[in-house]
Formats: sequence, C-alpha cells, structure tokens
Amino acid sequence: MSTAATLSGSSREIVLSAENLTKRFGRREAVSDVSFDVRAGEVFGFLGPNGAGKTTTIRMLVGLARPDRGRVQIRGLDLSRNFEKAMGHVGCIVEAPDLYKYLTGRENLLHFSRMLPEGATERIPELARLVALSERLDDKVSTYSLGMRQRLGIAQALLGNPDILILDEPANGLDPAGIREIRQLMRHLASERGIAVFVSSHLLSEVEQTCDRVAIIHRGRTLAAGPVRELVDRVASDRLRLIARPVKRAAEILAPFGAAEIAADDRGADEGAIDARIPKERVPDALRALTAAGVDVFAVERSLASLEEVFLEVTGGETV
Amino acid sequence: MRFPGLVENEILKFARQRRFRVVVLILVALIGLIVFAQSRGRERLLGRKDWHVETQERMARIQNWLRDGRMPESSQRWARFELDRLRYHVDRNVNPDAVSGPLFVRGFANAASYLLLPLLAIVFASDVVSAEFAQGTIKLLLTRPVARARVLASKLAALLLAITLTVLFGGIVAYLFGGIAYGYGGWEAPVLTGFRYSGERLDPAAVRSIELWKDTVLAYGLAWFAALCVGAIALLTSVLLRSTAAAMGTMLAALIAGTILPRLAPSWEAQKFLFVTNLPLPDYYSGTPPPIPGLTVGFAAATLAAWAVAALAAAFLVFVKRDVLA
Repeated sequence: MSTAATLSGSSREIVLSAENLTKRFGRREAVSDVSFDVRAGEVFGFLGPNGAGKTTTIRMLVGLARPDRGRVQIRGLDLSRNFEKAMGHVGCIVEAPDLYKYLTGRENLLHFSRMLPEGATERIPELARLVALSERLDDKVSTYSLGMRQRLGIAQALLGNPDILILDEPANGLDPAGIREIRQLMRHLASERGIAVFVSSHLLSEVEQTCDRVAIIHRGRTLAAGPVRELVDRVASDRLRLIARPVKRAAEILAPFGAAEIAADDRGADEGAIDARIPKERVPDALRALTAAGVDVFAVERSLASLEEVFLEVTGGETV
Repeated sequence: MRFPGLVENEILKFARQRRFRVVVLILVALIGLIVFAQSRGRERLLGRKDWHVETQERMARIQNWLRDGRMPESSQRWARFELDRLRYHVDRNVNPDAVSGPLFVRGFANAASYLLLPLLAIVFASDVVSAEFAQGTIKLLLTRPVARARVLASKLAALLLAITLTVLFGGIVAYLFGGIAYGYGGWEAPVLTGFRYSGERLDPAAVRSIELWKDTVLAYGLAWFAALCVGAIALLTSVLLRSTAAAMGTMLAALIAGTILPRLAPSWEAQKFLFVTNLPLPDYYSGTPPPIPGLTVGFAAATLAAWAVAALAAAFLVFVKRDVLA
C-alpha cells in the first residue's frame, strides 16, 4: 500500500481498494501499479489529464476490463472472483451516461432494476425526485439534454443502494449550472447517505471544490494521493501574500528570506501587494524585520495554490 | 429468480426497436406479393375444361391400369395413392389440381427456408450484442451484479423467441393470404412424402402418404430449426464483430454464397459440411434431389445443430472473457 494509506489519516471504512492495478495494451502499459483506497462517506477525486489512464482504471474497477496485475476489492470482496456480489455494492457511469435512447427514462430505470435484487423498482420515484427528473421520466431519453442524461445515469447507478458510486468525468459537457447540480448531488450523497463517491476528472478546480481526497494519475501512474488540503500544503506552504507600504522597501527587506516580488499592478505604487515564498519557520523573522524597518504591513495571508499548480508541481519534472 | 426479468428486458428491447416492425412488414408485403402474382398466373392456365369430367377420366384410366396387372410394383403403389388422392378431392367437390390455402403454406415453408427465414433471423441476431456496443449501453449492462454468461443467455432466449414468433407469424400470414386467394380448407388432403435418392435414382421404398397438415407442420418445424441455427451463428458474428452492419454483412454473404456454391461447384463434396448448404431442410425432407450426394434431412439437421452448438460455445467464451473497451 502506497501513499494513499499513509496520507489518509481517516478511520472510516474502506469500501473500495485498488491494489497495484496494471493494464497493458500490446506493449504499451496504459496503467501501471495504481493503488488507492476509497472510504465510506468521502468524495474521492481521480485527477489526471486526458489519456492519463483514468478510464482504463475505472474499467478495471467495475470489471469491464481485467487487470494484467493487481486486484480490486469492494467491501473486501475480490472483484474477479466474486463479481456478482461485489458489483451489488457498486453503481457507476463509465465514460458517458449511455442509456437506451429509444426507451423512456422510467423504462430505462425499470430495465436496470430488473437486473438487481427485489426492491429496486420501489426506489424509482424517490430517485427521480432526487435527480429532479420526476416530470420528464416518461419521455424518451432521446429527448433529454446531456445534463438530464447524466442525472438519469446517476439515478440508475443509485438503484441498487450502492456503497460506492463511480462517476467518470461527470462534469463533461455540462454548463456551469449543471456542474454545480452534480457537485451538490455528490456532496449530498457522501455526507447524508454515507456513500463513497469516486469521481474522475481532468478539471482541477472541480476536484478541489468537490473532493475530500484526491489521487493524481499521469501517464498511467498515480503520482500523489491524499487529502486535497494536505496535497495543496505540500507545495503551497511557503506561499505568502503581503500588503505593505512602502512596497518597494518591503520587497528589499524580504529578499534575503526568500523570493519576493511586487505584484505587477503595484510596481509604481506606494502601497501594494508582494508575492513571496518564504519557508514557514522564517516567516516570523521576516515580519519582525519589516516592522523594525518601519514598513507598514496591512495584511499577510498564505495563498493556497490551486490543484492546477499542485499538478504542475508534481508532474512538471516529468518529460511529457 | 431474476432470469425471467433479464429475458423480459431483452424482449422489451427487441419489441421497441424499429427492426421488429420492419420484419413484420417485410413478411406481410412479401407474402402478399407472392400470393397476388401466383393467383394472377393461374387464372390464365385454369378453366379450359370442366375439372369434374377430367378428373373422372383420370381415375378411370388409373383403375384400368391397376386391373391390367402388368404395372410394376412400385408404380402400382403410386397409382393407388393417386387414385386415393383424386377420390378425396372428388368426394369433397374440390379440384385436385387447384392450389389450396394449406398447400400454399406448405409451399411457402420450402421456399422460405433457405433465404427468407434465415435472413430475418440474421436481421434480429446480428443486432443483439453489437447494438449494446454501438449505444454504449454494454458498459451498464455488464457492470450490474449479473454474470456475463447470464446476460448473454437472456439475450439468446429472447432471440430464439423472436425467431420462433417470426416463423409462426410468417406461417399465419401465408395461410391468411393463401386462404383469401385459394380457400382455407384442405388440411386433410393426402400428400406423398418420404422420397429418397439412392445414387441417381429415386428410391420409392419409404414413400408414404400423410395428411397435408402433418406434412406442413413437419416442413415448417424444419424451417424453424434451420432459422434458429442461423440465429445462433449470427449471434456469434455479433459478439465477435461488435458492429451490426459488419455482422449482418458477413452473414448475408455466407447465405448468398450458400445459394450460389452448389450451382457453380457441384462437384466439391466437402461443401455439404458448410452450414448454408444444409439450410433447405424442408427441401431435403420432401425429397427434392439434393445438390450434393449424401445430403439427407438427418445429415443436414445434425450438421446445422453442430454448427449452432459450436457457434454458441464460442460466443459465450468470447463474451465472458473479452475486455469491454468500447
């Protein structure tokens, strides 16, 4: 077990664990040694650029593709040996919310409820309400917008009362309102129902806003995994932004402590912002030096890097 | 417990797709056209002489031959049958040379067995798995807590049902339309069956007379069996090629090759092991000289069954094992 376990720090039950998943297509290794755990009640982000191996990994998680090495466990059940039982705990959308377009939304849900144990049919009205599709449920899916299909796909995935929901790029093709709806739905499912939500994305801001923990995948390998905050801290802890007067003098004083740069707009101004990178333990000294020199400091804040930067930081070293 | 639900799903998908309606329309239009064209042609041939008189003359002639006693044994059997057949029709005041609705159905079984019914079976079967790939729904279908083998088994069950219904429907439409043109009675009329060929010659030893309805049920049953076997093979192409167009094209090419090959290369005996050569089961049953020596109805049925079983085994193996990357 790699970084995922050491960084997690959570004691909630592990619902899904991927161990050393490896998939080869011919000579090319599309996914290499990917490992992570997803816990009950959390939204777990699976972040990576297009072609990084996200969908291939997801196909292995849901049994569509067989890993060449490694294994998937769902609630402790080995997926390859106990497929039917293990998949009873899973709801998923792989790649796109593809449903039968010539059937109505209700017929689609009935179709998939017949593939589940008794009782799934009774959940249809409730789930339709949850994804706000009650009014259009008897229309053919071919008349649905992409956002509605995405929501119907989620309703389908929830039919079997799953412990884990696996969503592949659910924000793809949605407008900002649709993205917000999906995000709220995922948070609701995780916090209110205790479902583990595994969501892949290439939208870094999306993962930052939605997820509790994240694994970053690049060229088939997981590069980092852990709580979103922790991961951000790892590269962002030395970033500071100060508002000071006179700004030029402040920059000179800060220079020995680390990189300090006056914000572009404020170069000619008296009072302005400075972006600095000063190691955490030297920050008190730097502030004392400023005060001693008679510089007015109006604000000091740690600027958190976005996952965008985390991502560049982590993958930047690699030649692409 | 859940298997009936799975089959229900597959039937729902069959019924809601346009191709089911298209097949129904094809059958109705085609049979209607055949009946119309045939009855037009016959109107010109018939009605020159009163059939009562003509039939009485024929019966008298046959009775004379039989009394004569100089006829060989095999011909005597034939003559007695012909006499019975004519008497049956005269007793019921029916022209023995007229086509009846039931006779049309019987003829349709033979004509439809090697091209039309297999074609309709292919139209259904080539779609069964490949459509799920094309729509992307295969990813949902195979990530539900149902083993892949059960998913395919439910598809096979629905396919066999759809083919069966199509064959039944074809028979009913043929009877309805044939009845309009030629009348609905005549199911009990005697027909000859059991012709066999030993070498180049007709072997009359097993020839016997049975009622038309029994003969029709047999011929139709054979056509149905052939269509099921074609469905099984087409299911394999659908699994392998994952594209409806490619699967349908492959199977159509095979069917067409099967109708051409015996004519172009009649001396190539190994073709009797191809499935297409064995499709006209009703023809072999009713005693049409086979295109290849040694093709009997039993051999043809066994060969078809072997093809179907092998195709299904391969289809299940591939469907269960192969990664879904579509």
